[in-house]
Amino acid sequence: MAYLEISGVDKVFGTDGKPGQKVLALEGINFAVEQGEIYALLGPSGCGKSTILEIVAGFERPTRGTVLFDGARITGPEPERAMVFQQPNLFPWLTVIDNVMFGPRVQGQSDMRAAAKRAGHLLEICGLGGFEKRYPYQLSGGMRQRVAIVRVLMNNPRVLLMDEPFGALDALTRLTMQELLLAIWGELKPTIIFVTHDVDEALFLADRVGVMSRRPGRMKREVGVEIGRPRDVDVMITPKFTALKSMLIHELRNEAQATDGAPQDHTKILTG
Amino acid sequence: MPSANGSDKEIQPMTRSIIGGAAAFSNSTYFYSALSVSMLFLIWIGTTQWLAVVSTKLLPSPVSLFNEFLVISRSGYAGTTLLGNILASFFRMVLGFTLSAAVAIPVGIAMGMSGKVRGFLAPIFNGLRPVPSIGLIPLMVLWFGIGQTSKVAVIFLASFLFVVLNTAEGVRSVPVGLMRAAANLGAGRVQMFWRVVLPASLPAIFTGLKTGLAVSWAVVVAAELLGAQRGLGFMIEDAATFYRIKVVYIGLILIGLIGIAMTAAINALERRIVHWVGKS
Ligand SMILES: Nc1ncnc2c1ncn2[C@@H]1O[C@H](COP(=O)(O)OP(=O)(O)O)[C@@H](O)[C@H]1O
Ligand SMILES: [Mg+2]
Repeated sequence: MAYLEISGVDKVFGTDGKPGQKVLALEGINFAVEQGEIYALLGPSGCGKSTILEIVAGFERPTRGTVLFDGARITGPEPERAMVFQQPNLFPWLTVIDNVMFGPRVQGQSDMRAAAKRAGHLLEICGLGGFEKRYPYQLSGGMRQRVAIVRVLMNNPRVLLMDEPFGALDALTRLTMQELLLAIWGELKPTIIFVTHDVDEALFLADRVGVMSRRPGRMKREVGVEIGRPRDVDVMITPKFTALKSMLIHELRNEAQATDGAPQDHTKILTG
Repeated sequence: MPSANGSDKEIQPMTRSIIGGAAAFSNSTYFYSALSVSMLFLIWIGTTQWLAVVSTKLLPSPVSLFNEFLVISRSGYAGTTLLGNILASFFRMVLGFTLSAAVAIPVGIAMGMSGKVRGFLAPIFNGLRPVPSIGLIPLMVLWFGIGQTSKVAVIFLASFLFVVLNTAEGVRSVPVGLMRAAANLGAGRVQMFWRVVLPASLPAIFTGLKTGLAVSWAVVVAAELLGAQRGLGFMIEDAATFYRIKVVYIGLILIGLIGIAMTAAINALERRIVHWVGKS
């Protein structure tokens, strides 16, 4: 049995008694992630990627199907399944160090001195040394997201659930963050589900990429990324990478066209 | 606040003075404030003293007002020193406002957290909302007499709704992302309240407190108009009865100045406590 197993999961929103239309967000989702693996979920916007992470994190329940983590059903949020959101969601009234120490404090960890030491170490690794006393509003977008990552790493998570965490960053910062994430993974080897709609990002980070269809989200295809580690930016120009990229872009393009109802051939409009 | 090196979303000062509120008062804003105050003063001196086109029985000149101010600050008014009258109003307000906030904040939190409490209290508060608090003065006098209690009760009611409704709204609109992040980091229900819901609601609570304070100060004066032995409202009412028009103006100006000072004080407190608001 796999480490994290999602079997036959449907998710219908609007069934919890609240008024409003029912939305079938996910249909028959099946995939499994091995321990220490980086699994990328790739799909068009609105296809249910975030919903999958919310279910694995324990914020949402699947309408049908099961999610097993290390053999047990998921019943709610736990620090061992750590979520990194698209927005950093830092507490704006707390300094960087107090945000990072939030987990150990609310859990009443006994050895606060060790936690503080680990916080200093992780902040240093992530290029945040010297920023401990700053408030989130005094940091750049990339720095905020790094604080959010350090904050969950403090809890020694076994699974990292990352929901387009670098989506709001500029291209250069995004690349630095991807390299940082790979470095962290190299050291701590957490299992990662990484949601993105960026093909380069998925291929650069992941061992496998799951491609999803437009809503209702289904698993359309799974692609193994047989590129060795450690990886650096140079892998992005290897023939293997570009071949995979071309294939995934076509997969996504079909989905996007189906979503927008766009014509298959744009030239027809111009000539016809 | 110093901003971090490499901040990628720094707001330029130009933009800030356009989009910013009180937090971004620029030098030119202060200039125009000074301009309006001096113009008002000039018109006042001009019409009462230089041109003498306005009867000093209706609007005394600044100089005569200042002289009268010296007189009553030395000899007091109606058996009470000027400071005594100011403090009488001030402490009434502080008492009513503090009691009001002490009840309104917990009730607002309960309303924000529980749909049942909200449903239970909403009709009462919605019914009270259109009733001007000054309209409650006669009723409070009937209930509690003309002593201190009725005045404190009026102030209590005047600020109560502002604090309650803002607090409830603040608690309801705590960002889901922050709550999920906290739950994910291991916060239980109690931790969630003290470490997330309460601090996240503080800006809204402050908004309610600021309005409540301003309203309390306005209402204390109104409450004193209807029977009191001391206080600025009493002073104005009593002086008007005896045609001491200068004292009336002094009372009004003092009320305005004290109001400005209180607003400045609570704004400064707000900037200190909820320093993150408006910055992102
Ligand atoms: N709480 C919710 N209530 C109703 N519909 C929702 C809710 N959350 C998401 N949805 C809908 O479910 C679909 C999938 O959303 P989401 O998982 O956020 O997609 P993605 O992350 O891939 O962009 C969308 O159509 C969205 O509108
Ligand atoms: Mg999403």
